[in-house]
Amino acid sequence: MMILSIDTAGRSDAIGLIDGRRVLADFVGDVTHNSLQGIIMNIDAVLSNAGLTLADVDGLGVGIGPGSWTGVRVGITVGKMMAYATGKPLCGVSSLDALASQAGDASTLICSVVDAGRGNIYAGFYRRRGGVTVKQGQYTAGPVEGLVARIREPVLFVGDAAQVHRQTISALLGDLARFMKAGEERQGSATALLALSRLERGESDDALSLVPLYLKEPLVQALAARKR
Amino acid sequence: MLVLGIETSCDETAAALVADGHILSNVVASQMDLHASFGGVVPEVAARKHVEVIGYVINEALGSAGKALEDVEAIAVTSRYGLIGCLVVGVAAAKALAYTLKRPLVGIHHIEGHIFANILSNPHIPMPHVCLTVSGGHTMLVYVKDLCQYEVLGNTLDDAAGEAFDKVAKFLGLGFPGGPVIDRLAAQGDRTAYNFPRPLRRSGTVDFSFSGLKTAVVNRFKGSDISTLPVSDIAASFQEAVVEHLVSKTVQAASRADVSAIGVTGGVAMNSRLREVFAERCRQEGHQLFFTRTDLCGDNAAMVAAAGAARLAHGESADLYLSAVPNAPLESAA
Repeated sequence: MMILSIDTAGRSDAIGLIDGRRVLADFVGDVTHNSLQGIIMNIDAVLSNAGLTLADVDGLGVGIGPGSWTGVRVGITVGKMMAYATGKPLCGVSSLDALASQAGDASTLICSVVDAGRGNIYAGFYRRRGGVTVKQGQYTAGPVEGLVARIREPVLFVGDAAQVHRQTISALLGDLARFMKAGEERQGSATALLALSRLERGESDDALSLVPLYLKEPLVQALAARKR
Repeated sequence: MLVLGIETSCDETAAALVADGHILSNVVASQMDLHASFGGVVPEVAARKHVEVIGYVINEALGSAGKALEDVEAIAVTSRYGLIGCLVVGVAAAKALAYTLKRPLVGIHHIEGHIFANILSNPHIPMPHVCLTVSGGHTMLVYVKDLCQYEVLGNTLDDAAGEAFDKVAKFLGLGFPGGPVIDRLAAQGDRTAYNFPRPLRRSGTVDFSFSGLKTAVVNRFKGSDISTLPVSDIAASFQEAVVEHLVSKTVQAASRADVSAIGVTGGVAMNSRLREVFAERCRQEGHQLFFTRTDLCGDNAAMVAAAGAARLAHGESADLYLSAVPNAPLESAA
């Protein structure tokens, strides 16, 4: 089964292409480019480098965030419209889950992190159980310090935001914190592989109704809720 | 040529099918109620709603026209002028569809869309003409030389006219949006009750300004108990000042450009007093007047599809690197 994936929630856009469990392409976009401008031609390049067209793809995986609000809307809208126009199945994949799945056979707690701006992060905790990465509890959003304060055991951080906040995390956790080396991340294929797993379980999302996972309300709504 | 239009530049998610000047469908999912509690459009709230409903809106535009996606021959999208986070959703959708269906793509300036709402409403409007585009997001006088050929004659120096309606309505506790409610109340009020300033009367330009007028209303009644104020009279007097400002600058622009035809388009073009005063003045001055039909005054995608068809007929199209530009000038290419 051929799966094309898109995740534009992070700092760099990720596009993945897999044939079953075999990774055909893992494209990482230039961080200085906006997602909207290059997304289609980058997808086209990934497909044509593999000698394929969109018609050869059996399913689409799309990162639903959390992450950059405008960024994630680009990828999810492109994924939705491609699925709508081709009739191919679409699977939304949490960007935090896709990051965590790249930690391999880590024996410790895994924490995937995406930058949320102004010293904040989105994070998820995971453990490896029976060869699969299993989410522990709910995703969180908030200041780096608050998240790190909850950790009392060795933890492997995954995601470029972990690198951005590495100093803060190390200062608070010392030896307990380990970091996946930068450049190890394969967000595109990880998203595609999780989408494939969902499709194999008979799951998929509706191309018209799929929405991003924001984890945070826009400021005005948060203020209005507080007033109530 | 069957063109699918997509418009998400502000708070309406819209898709439409237009074939050779005929509107086959025109679907607008308004977010008005969503933003009413905030007293104005909140960009992030609007962008979230766009991504939530865009697929349904496009699907409905096809369904109500009895067309399949494969029947679409080209895709036009508002890519310039508007809220960046909102434009992005429409452009991403349009690009994905153009790529998947292998159809030409064209990016449209939002103001050009409104000019085409006027042309769709009045296919025989003479060229050249002067077009006033007036809404909550813009107030512009455009010399329309010919299809897709523009020169901006005047622009607002601060707020858009519709924004002034919103702000005055908010001050008077009338809710959002302000245009329709002020129009309704003004019909029962005395428009000579208060003499609010007519902006830029001696400026020598055909630009607009509404910020001072709005402030004049607020300053006149600041500290008063709103419930005791003659709100209908205030609404009528304020509206009269806005309308006179819009009409006099537009007529002045038409005379200077030496054209006899005037087009009026955009959300504020629905205002009943504006229609009345324009009709009166154009009759006096011997101008031909062309208002956009009311169902095309607000943001919609039929106007975007129509503009797209015209651009494509001129041999213009966009490549798949098309991006969203929030404040592009009107004259730029597709």
